Amino acid sequence: MSFERNRRLVAKRPPLTTGASIDAVTAGIINGAFETVCFEVATHLGRAASSAIINQSNERNASIIDANGRLAGISLGIPQLLFVSPLAVRWGLENSVADDWGPGDVFVGNDPDYGGGHLPDYTVYAPLFDDSGELLLIQALQAHQGDTGGKDPGGFSVDSTDIFGEGLGIPVLKLVHRGEPRRDVIDLLIRNNRFPSFAGDIAAMISAVQRGVRSLEHIVSRYGVECIKAAINANIEQTEQRFRAAVASWPDGDYGGEVWIDQDTAGNPDVHVVVNCKVAGDQLCLDMTGSDARPELVNVWNTYANTRGYAIAQLASMVAPDILKNEGLFYAVEMLVPEGCILQPPPNKPAALGAFHPAVEVGEAICIALSRILPERSAPQVYKLGMPNAVIGVDAQGAMWMDQGVDVRASDASATQGLDGWGSMCAGLGNLILATAEDAESRFPVLNLAREMRTDTGGAGRWRGQPGTCNIKQVLEPVSAMTWMVSRKHPLRGLCGGDDAAPYSNHFLCGTPDEFAVENALNAQLPAGAITRYQYGGGGGFGNPLEREPEAVREDVLDEYVSVQAARERYGVVLTGSVEHCDIEIDHAATAQLRAERLQASTTR
Amino acid sequence: MSYRIGIDIGGTFTDFALLAKGELTLHKNLSTPQDRSLGVLQGLEKLATLEGKSLAALLEDTEAIIHGTTVADNTLIEMNGACTGLLTTEGFRDELELRRGYKEDIWDVRLGPPSAIIPRRRRLGVPERLRFDGSVHTALDEDAARRAIELLARQGVESVAICTLFSFTNPAHEQRLAELVREMLPEVHLSLSHEVLPKSPEFERVSTTAVNAYIGPRVTRYIDQLQQRLQEAGYTRKLLLLQCNGGVMSREYLQASPVRVLASGPAGGVIGGAAFGRAKGAADLLCVDMGGTSYDVSVIRGGSAPAESRWNWHHRYLVAVPMVQVETLGAGGGSLCSAASGTLQVGPASAGADPGPVCYGRGGTQPTVTDAILILGLLSEDMEFAGGDFRLSRAGVEEAMARHVAEPLGVSVEDAAFDCWRVVNANMSQAVRRLTAARGCNPEDLSLLAYGGNGPVFAAIQAQELGIDRVLVPRTSPGFSATGALAAAPCIDEERSYLVAADQADAARLRELFSALQEHARGFLVDAGFAADAIRTRYQLGMRYPGQNWSLSVDAFDALGDGDLSFADDGLALRVAQRFHELHYAEYGHARDAEMPEITGVRLSASVAVPGPAFHGGHSAQEEPAIPARQRRANLGNGFQPTDIYRGADLAPGHCIEGPAIIEETFTTIVVYPGWRAVLDDAGDYELRRNRNDIH
Repeated sequence: MSFERNRRLVAKRPPLTTGASIDAVTAGIINGAFETVCFEVATHLGRAASSAIINQSNERNASIIDANGRLAGISLGIPQLLFVSPLAVRWGLENSVADDWGPGDVFVGNDPDYGGGHLPDYTVYAPLFDDSGELLLIQALQAHQGDTGGKDPGGFSVDSTDIFGEGLGIPVLKLVHRGEPRRDVIDLLIRNNRFPSFAGDIAAMISAVQRGVRSLEHIVSRYGVECIKAAINANIEQTEQRFRAAVASWPDGDYGGEVWIDQDTAGNPDVHVVVNCKVAGDQLCLDMTGSDARPELVNVWNTYANTRGYAIAQLASMVAPDILKNEGLFYAVEMLVPEGCILQPPPNKPAALGAFHPAVEVGEAICIALSRILPERSAPQVYKLGMPNAVIGVDAQGAMWMDQGVDVRASDASATQGLDGWGSMCAGLGNLILATAEDAESRFPVLNLAREMRTDTGGAGRWRGQPGTCNIKQVLEPVSAMTWMVSRKHPLRGLCGGDDAAPYSNHFLCGTPDEFAVENALNAQLPAGAITRYQYGGGGGFGNPLEREPEAVREDVLDEYVSVQAARERYGVVLTGSVEHCDIEIDHAATAQLRAERLQASTTR
Repeated sequence: MSYRIGIDIGGTFTDFALLAKGELTLHKNLSTPQDRSLGVLQGLEKLATLEGKSLAALLEDTEAIIHGTTVADNTLIEMNGACTGLLTTEGFRDELELRRGYKEDIWDVRLGPPSAIIPRRRRLGVPERLRFDGSVHTALDEDAARRAIELLARQGVESVAICTLFSFTNPAHEQRLAELVREMLPEVHLSLSHEVLPKSPEFERVSTTAVNAYIGPRVTRYIDQLQQRLQEAGYTRKLLLLQCNGGVMSREYLQASPVRVLASGPAGGVIGGAAFGRAKGAADLLCVDMGGTSYDVSVIRGGSAPAESRWNWHHRYLVAVPMVQVETLGAGGGSLCSAASGTLQVGPASAGADPGPVCYGRGGTQPTVTDAILILGLLSEDMEFAGGDFRLSRAGVEEAMARHVAEPLGVSVEDAAFDCWRVVNANMSQAVRRLTAARGCNPEDLSLLAYGGNGPVFAAIQAQELGIDRVLVPRTSPGFSATGALAAAPCIDEERSYLVAADQADAARLRELFSALQEHARGFLVDAGFAADAIRTRYQLGMRYPGQNWSLSVDAFDALGDGDLSFADDGLALRVAQRFHELHYAEYGHARDAEMPEITGVRLSASVAVPGPAFHGGHSAQEEPAIPARQRRANLGNGFQPTDIYRGADLAPGHCIEGPAIIEETFTTIVVYPGWRAVLDDAGDYELRRNRNDIH
């Protein structure tokens, strides 16, 4: 039943019906206006929300959907998630008559089996009607909620066997009817959330989409209904054409990419994701046949909406960055996702953790596959961290608090051809603003002891991956801690001859005789004073490290991204002097000889 | 006779505004990039000549020189600041590089990193740690600190930034580190985070402190040099510098935080705009400044432009000191137009001043906005451009527009030019909407003030797109930033952190914080020559709901004179909390009245009112239609038509002009779009009003 619903929700939607025609420039101007409305809506939420993950970390995404359920415009946010909202809204659209849609209404949905991503990602949306009462546009806003009312605070249960343990699933629910908030419904949602800050978040989301609708009304009255419809059609068509033109310029062929996740949360090993990218003329087909479908897998089920979103986000990063981001991308790409595999799960599977893995592996596999033909735009848009160490406690007044651990500093920032990995994470996550020690310590009984990059954890390559940080944190009161480790065995892959990133590791009770490495999922009680040490993997390298400019390696050693030893072993660069004395120099003769030996060894091998 | 002189140094011109008995004289001089103080002196000589005096006599009679400098911005653009080191809490050396995860373009995997103002090898951790309440968790390891300083010394640092965790609650460790640096490296420039930006969180503070350290030596050198040259020429009073908060302050104050002159150029125009708007009865204004490469837009409400510290990125570094909020878009006369990818792109790439637009005839081959509006007839070859330096030329303009825009889009050259005009207009409207969204206001409630060389060409059509009915264009529009500097008041605006629930606030602690800020501000203002009883002080509390990340500044008290703190009694926090609920409702459309807000800190701004340029308004002259000088074929949005052209020099107060029409002023062109009407007010400034019946 769920599969049938999925097929219906993803089915290609037709253009809007209009007799109007439009020139490309006006259509572009209207697209810009849509992006600005999305910016306004996201900014409004960021300013007004109460949870750190929204107002500090920017985990919120605004989009505009047309009356046929097509993505008409987006703005800043998290690319993967920006492409997810349309399906949740489509479920609402299917029921618009039964649910008595009208002007001034606001809805919410989060159910993975009804077009949602995972339960914490609430999509709040509001329709806009034209003067004749016909539905024209929908302003949607998605944001990550701190809790969803399930078994465990935060909504991430490492041992959930079905969706019901994770929290409250909402296919669609009306929050505001004709401008009047439905107090009973909103109270129900607030009651099903452990954190008091949720009340502020849901109020902020509602006021944000209402504001979006008002701004859209201005645009519609400025340009006229028919002109807006024609612009949406034209922009979607233009994106499809541009993407197809890019694909047509790629060499035809089958390009396979496959990746593994260390294990699911129950310990079933080597969860497998396969994407075969077929390029034929201007048609790209992503065939995910062969991806894992073991029914016993726990928590590694990625909802269909997410699979599509993550695939399109990776592809959008591999074409010119100025392509308009809309439904045209979905039109241009064919996706074959077997029903029942981890990328399109059977009904009622838990969905929270699947939105991390195997979701990001879809993008990683696509990137690996296409790196052979698009080396200059190949950088995996991923985070390979499993789950951060979330710690949860209860304050003196009995209120529950959670440090969600959105405090990664550097992880998975891979190199691409011609450019070393840099900054904190991949480009696509550049809008996720990370929590600070001073803010966290003012709110929670925790102490951040260190969060620096560790030498040699970035993959070596002609272009080097950024090293990963080692986050050391102490809890000052007894807490429960939850985590899930992946990428210890299968770290982020290097590309085109570059080294893989260093693997992840995570230790609890550090510095005590009971110290242990977390090997899989864990829900533990930590005593006051306990220290955790999370080593994030770095970015993957790109190209053969023996081809890196020796001078660049020398600079890396001075900056302690790379050690003297790794310079020799991985890059074949022989250095003299020491970092402490700032007198690192290249021994050019020894370097040339060592590199020649290495190259010969690799060709004879 | 006492003069006040405003000086604004731009990329091409240095602008001077001389205020004498309320009368304003403007002058432009070419900038002298090698030593900008030379151009300043040349310009002052000319002003003296205009006044019929020697330079020494002019300066003798000058009570204030107020200067807006771009030296801090240029240092970050050219990346030629000091060799800088950072001492920080062990374990936190990478915050500056990792930027809380921020990247400017989420879609572009080819975007590279910013140039490192402090590379990792010069960012060193020292064992020490404070808790959030300022208590010492780990004492400072002085031996390790000495080793780190030695390592910086070996790398030849000229400037050192010191930023440790929670130093704003207890500066002892930073102060001790500074002593050690002074001992071992007595010559280096020092920037301490608890002085530069005494508030959380650590990334914002370390980034601001690092920028301060990097630009500090060059900025202070420049100011010292200028001050010395002025002294040699006979000026004995203090040089006042424009800050990014829109106020001015002395070199002595700015020495500790030179970062406060960053981005101060646009702030001058905004402050001038506020004064201008007040004189014209327009307290709520949208200021737009369109020059050659950028479009700067800002909002003035209630006659003032509040400085706020937000997520302000400048030249790819975060600078979190309070700033007048200016949104900058890469859209100016020099913005390049291209349709290579099938969609029409206008900007942000710019032809700059060299080679510049094709019509400058200096070798430019790519069409720009200036070329497009020349084709549309909004500009013409027969007028002098850029202050009479040269005339525009049509040679090659149409060919360039054909090749880069018209042919790829399959339209005529004139239609292509019109499309460029439409796109740059739309880009600008969206920049405005982004700014007003972030400020929580509706553009329709504002008047629009346009300045800069290209601002008045687009002002009325911009206004129309945004639903604004009234546009103001100062006759002095191109030199408006220098005029604005004259309107800026001496001002010190600083914050201190104090995180506490509003109902737990300790009034004694609030008084202590306000008192420290007050003493600090008064010391510098009095030293700069201002009377203590002329200081107006505004006291605010930062507040937010529990869980929120952004706080609002809420007024606590406002007073002229002696700085009596008795207002900060036990009931203060709760009174301010009440105001916070109202303010939150006004900004975000909802309030959580049942919850107790948190105080995040105190903020104090101390300023002194000074005699600014006497802008005035009013329409007492009899209205009469002006006489056009000639006609020209032009497209003002409704297709090409013969259009009346007026010469600014022919116009007097009371003259009115119905659109469509074009007014050519000495340094700028004002376009009166169809449905608009321009009137010169008593001061000779332009006011454009839209006839609401003409809306289509």
